[in-house]
Amino acid sequence: MIGTRKSSGHWWLYAILTVCLVAVISPFVWMVLGSFKSEGELRQSPPTWWPEAASLDNYTQLFSRLDFGTYFANSIVVAIVVTAGNLLFCSMLGYALAMLEFPGKRALFVIVMATLMIPGVVTFVPLFVLVANVGLIDSLPGLILPFLVSPFGVFLMRQFIMGLPRDLLDAGRVDGAGELRIFARIILPLCGPALATLGILTFLGSWNNFLWPLVVAQTEDTYTLPVALALYSKGQNSTNYGLLLAGATVVVLPVLAVFLAFQRRFIEGIATTGIK
Amino acid sequence: MRRSSAIVVATIATTALALSACGRDGGSASGATTEGKDVSSGKATGTITVWAMGAEGEKLPALAKEFEAANPGAKVNVTAIPWDAAHDKFTTAITANKTPDAAMVGTTWMGEFAGLGALDPTPPSIDKSQFFEGAWKTTEVDGTSYGIPWYVETRLLYFRTDLAKKAGFAEAPKDWEGLKAMAKAMQTKSGAKWGIGLQAGGTGSWQTLMPFAWSNGADLTKDGGKAYNFDTPEVQEAVKYYQSFFTEGVSDKAAPATPTTEPDFASGRVPMFISGPWMMSAVEKVGGAGFKDKYSVAPMPTKKTSSSFVGGSDFVVFKNSKQRDTAWKFVQFLSDPKTQVKWYQQSTDLPSVQSAWEDPAISSDPKLATFGEQLKTAQAPPSFPTWEQVISQFDTELEKVTKQGADPAAALKTVQQQAESIGTGGQ
Amino acid sequence: MSVTSPQGHAPSRRPASRSGLREGRAAWALALPFCLLFLTFTVWPVIQSLFMSFTDTRSRDLKTPFAVNVVGLDNFAKAFQDPLFLRSAANTAYFVLVGVPLTLVLALAAAVALDRGITRLRAVFRLGFYLPVITSIVAVAVVWRFLLQDEYGLINTVLGWVGIDGPNWLGDPDWSMPALILMAAWRNFGTAMIIFLAGLQAVPWSLHEAAAIDGAGAWKRFRYITLPLLRPTILFVSVTTGIGYLQFFEEPYVMTNGGPLNSTLSMSMYTYRQFGFGNYGYAASVSYIIFVVIAVVTAIQFRLLREKD
Repeated sequence: MIGTRKSSGHWWLYAILTVCLVAVISPFVWMVLGSFKSEGELRQSPPTWWPEAASLDNYTQLFSRLDFGTYFANSIVVAIVVTAGNLLFCSMLGYALAMLEFPGKRALFVIVMATLMIPGVVTFVPLFVLVANVGLIDSLPGLILPFLVSPFGVFLMRQFIMGLPRDLLDAGRVDGAGELRIFARIILPLCGPALATLGILTFLGSWNNFLWPLVVAQTEDTYTLPVALALYSKGQNSTNYGLLLAGATVVVLPVLAVFLAFQRRFIEGIATTGIK
Repeated sequence: MRRSSAIVVATIATTALALSACGRDGGSASGATTEGKDVSSGKATGTITVWAMGAEGEKLPALAKEFEAANPGAKVNVTAIPWDAAHDKFTTAITANKTPDAAMVGTTWMGEFAGLGALDPTPPSIDKSQFFEGAWKTTEVDGTSYGIPWYVETRLLYFRTDLAKKAGFAEAPKDWEGLKAMAKAMQTKSGAKWGIGLQAGGTGSWQTLMPFAWSNGADLTKDGGKAYNFDTPEVQEAVKYYQSFFTEGVSDKAAPATPTTEPDFASGRVPMFISGPWMMSAVEKVGGAGFKDKYSVAPMPTKKTSSSFVGGSDFVVFKNSKQRDTAWKFVQFLSDPKTQVKWYQQSTDLPSVQSAWEDPAISSDPKLATFGEQLKTAQAPPSFPTWEQVISQFDTELEKVTKQGADPAAALKTVQQQAESIGTGGQ
Repeated sequence: MSVTSPQGHAPSRRPASRSGLREGRAAWALALPFCLLFLTFTVWPVIQSLFMSFTDTRSRDLKTPFAVNVVGLDNFAKAFQDPLFLRSAANTAYFVLVGVPLTLVLALAAAVALDRGITRLRAVFRLGFYLPVITSIVAVAVVWRFLLQDEYGLINTVLGWVGIDGPNWLGDPDWSMPALILMAAWRNFGTAMIIFLAGLQAVPWSLHEAAAIDGAGAWKRFRYITLPLLRPTILFVSVTTGIGYLQFFEEPYVMTNGGPLNSTLSMSMYTYRQFGFGNYGYAASVSYIIFVVIAVVTAIQFRLLREKD
C-alpha cells in the first residue's frame, strides 16, 4: 500500500523541491559563471547572469601565476590524512563513550564537549607558539597534527552509535569476540552513514582551512590551495573578483567529488543489520 | 572521593603559585628616539628572506634579481603572502620569533609592530628628505623611524567631467562650498541620484573624513605628539561639514557596507566619490572604452589647505634579522629613484621617492600627476599602537552622526574620552 | 540508564567486574590516540589562553607570557560594562533564538522530503541543497547583496508584487539581522540536512509499514515513530548548530561588517576585533564568556532533548 503510494511520485513535492533547488543553487551557478567573466562585468550592479563574452582568461591567469601542482598536493595530503585520522580515532572514542563503561568516562565526555564549545580563535595563538616550539612550523605535520582528532567527530560518532542496539555487543561477547574485535567487525560496519557524514564534513573543513596554513607556512612550498588562491585575488585596497571566483570554483571541485563519492552511503541503510 | 579532592587541592595550589610568579617590571625604557645602527659600505652578501603581499609579492622577485646581479653573493628569497589575514600572519610570526629578514608592511600596521619591538630602526645613511614628508611620517613611531616608505597612495576627488559640465561646472571644485554646490547641481541638473558617494560612518570611514579635517588644519595629536587630539574646532568643523551632506540629501546615509561605487560612477547615479589610485583602472573597466575621458581626479577642496590621507606600504627590516646588513642594502636599493620608477612600471604602485615622479613614465599622465601634487601635502595618521582601536570608536561615532543626526560636538567629546582611556599604547 | 549493573543484564557480581575490567581497558585503548593528540594540541593551548584571560596580556607580552599583571576577574567585569559587548550579546541571542529553529526545520523538512517523499533524483537534490555550504562566501555575498538590494533587489521586487514595500534590508538597523538570519539558514541547512539524512537511515521502514497498516497517516507516523528515534540526531544537530550560530562571524563580517550601527555585530566579531587590537587578555576573557554561554545553552538542550529510556 505504502509502496504504490510512494511510487506515484507526489508531483507537487517535486515541484516545490525544484523551485527550492533553483533558488538554493543560484549563488553557486553565479560563482561558476562569474569565473568566465571579465573584471569590469563582475563589478556591475545589478550583477549579470550569463557572461557577455565568456573567456578562460581568469583560469589561464590562475594556473600560470600559481604553482598549482604543489598547492593542490599539499591540500590533498593534509585533507586526506586529517579525514582518515578523524574517522578512525573519533569513532574509536565515540564507541567507547557510547557503549562501554570505564572510569573517567563522564569526565572525558565533559572535557571533550567543553572544548567543542570553546571559540577556536582564543587558542589560535597559544597553539601556534606551541607548534613553533616543537619545530613543526612550515611542515605538513604542522598542518595535520592539530586537527587529526576533533571533539565534533567524537560527539557525532557517540550520538550515532548510541542509536545502535546494545544487543549487538552482547551477541558479540557471547560469541567470545574481544572488545576491539567487536568494535572493528560489528559496530564500525554499521556506522556507514555517520562515517560518510563525518568524512564529508571533516574533509570540507580541512580543505577550506585558510588561517592556520597561512600562519604555519614560512615558504610558498608549504602553502595549501586556499592560501595560494588568496595570493593574487585580494589587494591592499581592491579585489580581483575574476581570479577570486575562478579560484573558488577550482577549490570547490574536490569537495564536490568527495561529497558525491561519500553520499552513496546515505542510501545504504541499516537494512542489512537484521535488527529485531 | 578523597583522591579527587586531593587533585583539586593540588591544582589550585599550583595555579596560585604560578599566578604569584607573574608581574610586570617596574618601568621599561622610555621612548627616546633611537638612531639605527649604521650599515657597512660595499656589496651585499648572504641570503635574506623577504615577505611581500599579493601582487607585489609576485612581482618583487624580478626586481630582486637586479639586486642580486649588482651584488654577487647576495640572494633574496621572496615569499608572497596573501593580503587577507596578512596582519595576523605578521603578529603570530612576531610572537613566535619566526619573522623574515625584511618585509613590506601596510602603513597602518607600523605603530603596532614597532610597539611589539619587532622592527629595526632606520640607519642614518638613508636620506629621509628624498621621500614625501607624509609618507616618511608613516615610518615614524614615537620619534624613531623604522624602514622606508616603499610605495604610496593618496585619496583624491573623482568626478564625472561630462556630468559636471552639464550641471554648469567646467572645472573641479576648489573649496568646500564649491564641492557641495557641484554635488547638488549634479543631482538637479545631471540626473544623479546622489551627488557624491561618502561613507556614512562605519569601519574605515575615517579615511574619507580625515582629509577634510586635515584640510582644515587639524592636528590629531597634542602635547608634542604624545596624546590623541580629536575634540578640536578643526575636526568638529570637518565633521559638521561631512554630516551636512547626509542631512541635506546629497549623500546616501543608507548605503550598504560594500558600496557599488564603480557601476554607480559609470552610470552617473553617483558621479563623485573620494578614493585612491586603484579606482582608476576599476572604473575604467566598468565604464568601458573611452570612459577615461569622461572623468577626472582633483585634489581635495581647500579649506585652510588641501590635504589628504597618505597610505601605501613601508618596507621594514626586522630586529632579530641575522642578515641585517644585506637586508638594509636591499631596502636602500628599493628606495633608489631608478628602482622606484622601474617598480612603478611593473606594478603601477606609486613611488614614495619624490624625484621618481619626474620620470616621463609618470609625469606624462595628468591624472597621476594630480596624485603626485596631493602627495606633497598628504598626511598620515599618528602611529600609536592603539590607533586601530581608537579610530574604530571614531568610526562608530561618525556612523551615529551621519545616520542618526547625532551632534558632532558631543560625538567628538565621546571619542576623545575613549581615546584617553584607551591611551596611546606607547611605552 | 538502566537500573541493573552497567552491562545491563549480568546477574552475578564476579563476571561483571572481570568483564568490567576488560571493558575498561579496551575503552582506554580506544581512547588513547585521541587523548594524546587532544591533550597536546587542544588542552594545553586552552589552559594557556585561560590563564591569559585573567591577566592584562597585550600582544607585545606574548613573548614573555609571565611578565604580566594578574587582574583576576577585571577583564570579565570590563566586558559586561562595555555597551558594545552587551549589544553584540543581544544580537547573538537574537540570531540564535530565531536562526537555530529555522535552520533545523528547513533541514528536517528537506531531509524527510528527500528520504521518504521522493524516489527519483534524490542525489541531485541532496547535492543541490548542500551546495550553499561549500560555495565561496564571496559568491554568496554578491548574490545575496543583490537579492537584498533596496531598489531592484529580487526580494523587494517579489514583495512589491504582493503590494509590500520591502525595507532597505542591509541598510536598516531593524532589518539587517532578519536578513542575515535568512542568509545563514539558507547557507547552513545543508549540513544539518545531511546529518538528518544519516540519522533517518536508522529508522527502520518496517516500523512505518506496521504503523501504516494500523491506519496511521504520514504526519502521525512522523511524529510518533520518526521523531523519537531521531532524538539523538536532533540533539546533535541542535547542539552543533547552536554552537556554530553562537559564534557566527562570516555572514556579518562579509555582508555588513557588524553594521549598520552595530545591529549585526556578533560576539565573535567583537572578540576578533579585540584580538586585532592586541588586547589578548581581554579578548581571551570575552572568548571564555562566550564559552560559558555556549555551555549553558548546550546543557539546556541536553536536558530538553536527552535520551529517554
